[in-house]
Amino acid sequence: MKVLVAVKRVVDYNVKVRPKADGTGVETANVKMSMNPFDEIAVEEAVRLQEAGKASEVVVVSLGVSACQDTLRTALAMGADRAILVETDAELQPLAVAKLLKAVVDKEQPGLVILGKQAIDDDCNQTGQMLAALLGCGQGTFASKVEPGDGLVTVTREVDGGAETVELKLPAVITSDLRLNEPRYVKLPNIMKAKKKPLEVLKPEAFGVDVTPRLKTLKVAEPPKRAGGVKVASVAELVDKLKNVAQVL
Amino acid sequence: MSDAAILARLGALLPPARLRTDADTLASHGRDWTRLYQPDPLAVAFPESVAEVQALVAIANDTACPLVPSGGRTGLSGGAVAKSRELVLSFERMNRILGFDAVDRSVTAEPGVILETLQDYAREHGLQYPVDFAARGSAQLGGTIATNAGGIKVIRWGMTRDWVSGLKVVTGRGELLDLNRGLVKNNTGYDLRQLFIGSEGTLGLIVEATVRLAEAPQAPAVMVLGLPDLEAIMSAFERLRAALRLTAFECFSAQALSYVTAHGQPRPFETETPWYVLAEYDAAEERDTEAAMAAFETLAEDGIVLDGVLSQSDSQWRALWRLREDITESIAHRLPYKNDVSVRVARVPEFLRAMDELFAREYPDFEVIWFGHVGDGNLHISVLQPPEMARADFVAACEQVSEHLFATLAALGGSISAEHGVGLVKKPYLSYSRDPAEISYLRAIRAAFDPNGILNPGKLFDPA
Repeated sequence: MKVLVAVKRVVDYNVKVRPKADGTGVETANVKMSMNPFDEIAVEEAVRLQEAGKASEVVVVSLGVSACQDTLRTALAMGADRAILVETDAELQPLAVAKLLKAVVDKEQPGLVILGKQAIDDDCNQTGQMLAALLGCGQGTFASKVEPGDGLVTVTREVDGGAETVELKLPAVITSDLRLNEPRYVKLPNIMKAKKKPLEVLKPEAFGVDVTPRLKTLKVAEPPKRAGGVKVASVAELVDKLKNVAQVL
Repeated sequence: MSDAAILARLGALLPPARLRTDADTLASHGRDWTRLYQPDPLAVAFPESVAEVQALVAIANDTACPLVPSGGRTGLSGGAVAKSRELVLSFERMNRILGFDAVDRSVTAEPGVILETLQDYAREHGLQYPVDFAARGSAQLGGTIATNAGGIKVIRWGMTRDWVSGLKVVTGRGELLDLNRGLVKNNTGYDLRQLFIGSEGTLGLIVEATVRLAEAPQAPAVMVLGLPDLEAIMSAFERLRAALRLTAFECFSAQALSYVTAHGQPRPFETETPWYVLAEYDAAEERDTEAAMAAFETLAEDGIVLDGVLSQSDSQWRALWRLREDITESIAHRLPYKNDVSVRVARVPEFLRAMDELFAREYPDFEVIWFGHVGDGNLHISVLQPPEMARADFVAACEQVSEHLFATLAALGGSISAEHGVGLVKKPYLSYSRDPAEISYLRAIRAAFDPNGILNPGKLFDPA
């Protein structure tokens, strides 16, 4: 079974993001970029499936600017076999990404597609679900456990108040949650090997997909600053503040 | 003068909220991270101004009540321990950053500013304060200066001493000195500022400091490597230093790693090796990564390195650093007896071999955790207390170890305390690193600044 994993290049989780001065987006100049952490988990899961003999090939795909090749090389160093970059400088929203991924799926015919449940930059949490709908296949979102069987896959999902187990017919789409696994560090020898693994660069036009954004960003701004705390001298004053300032009593 | 009379004079200076005598405060502020002494201070004072610090020094001189200056209390040599009815003078209320100068690239701050707060402040201004170590979230600027703190970036950026461009201190005589005033060049005789750096609170109280800032780190990357033996550590250091712009080079033993992984950090890789090194380097440009790869390739070919990983994100950079930085915390429950020693970098292999033999021969039953900043010749040797052994017996045995260790060090021209200072813990061994003539000058300097011996008495060395 071939496994396709989608990875996104995002502002690193540890960077304190700042809006651009003109409010059109988040500042990304001279900011550390890394693989979306949920996608790292997705790659790890695919590689583990392969190591367990349950996947025959792991293909990673990323959509976006040329620098996404770095992100793909990281996935290759983690253990993926080959990579595809659909290169574009255009802004890609979840629906466009899902359509492009569908085109890649049509071309590659994987048995399983694994994505991060959401990207930490836009927090949309839509792409996996949209892709499953476009493909007309089953989806196991927020996965914390993935067990492929014969022509199907059992997925344990993180849901409100507990876990839910679903069984999906293959091919299927899975989105990874935090507890699915702990991604490995990338070994130095594997980084060198990754340089020699195939990385194919395609253009969105080749798929005939319309990637025009459907949503318009009006403004990106910092959340309002919280007022600092105050010390109160007595219980009476505390009650008064809770009633009249915080208005919680 | 009686305790009550001293407290009355202090009470006339400070309000009760800033002069504490409750058991919790006495216990928490009467000691640092050492667990060798029973804290027993008279009181803890929290001054908020230079004038109050001077008034406290005046009271101390009048009443012969000794003062123990106190910062974040993360020291490991007992320098901030108050065990003999001293007045602890805590700087935690003097914690304002007073100003940033973009042209000078300097910050002026009160002594109680937390190191991490200063680092964050520098970062917000596009620069860095490069003194850095695991206790950054608690350690205070004043304490780091009084102990000339080192840490994990010394091979690239040096010690605290290299970054202090101005100091205001209140001496043991109560005078306020304004030293060097932020100047880069100032050849006007003895540089008193340098005397106060590393003085462990025995000459004066630091009430304000100006520190220089450095350019921000250039996209640092971290590799953790597995090594087959002691010899490989220095070989790897030589080669990586030649190939990369190293900002840190740390080593730790397999045993040290086992405590960190038991504490919750994942292993860097499955291959088990007796030694590990963590190398950090600037990786702003593609050729940096290529140089790292090339260096790794030759190290692996020559059998110097058995396995290794490279950080792929800031998150991984942090996680890999924790393998080294969490060692102290993960062995804390075993009440380790710590030694912090240094030799010239070129002599590290010789020293390591001698130590390895010493422990194998004399103390085969002790569990010894090795880690340190080998890139600057500094090693931390922590002996873990066996669970069945009584504390006093253990400490006595470790003091025996120290004698052997320090004799070896003296022969190699090393230092008995590389960066933790002397305080109480290393005081008995000072003569292994400083000769009698030198110590007599140290005493004379102390007498000049603190004639009544009220500042941190009993630390560093005893009166003649």
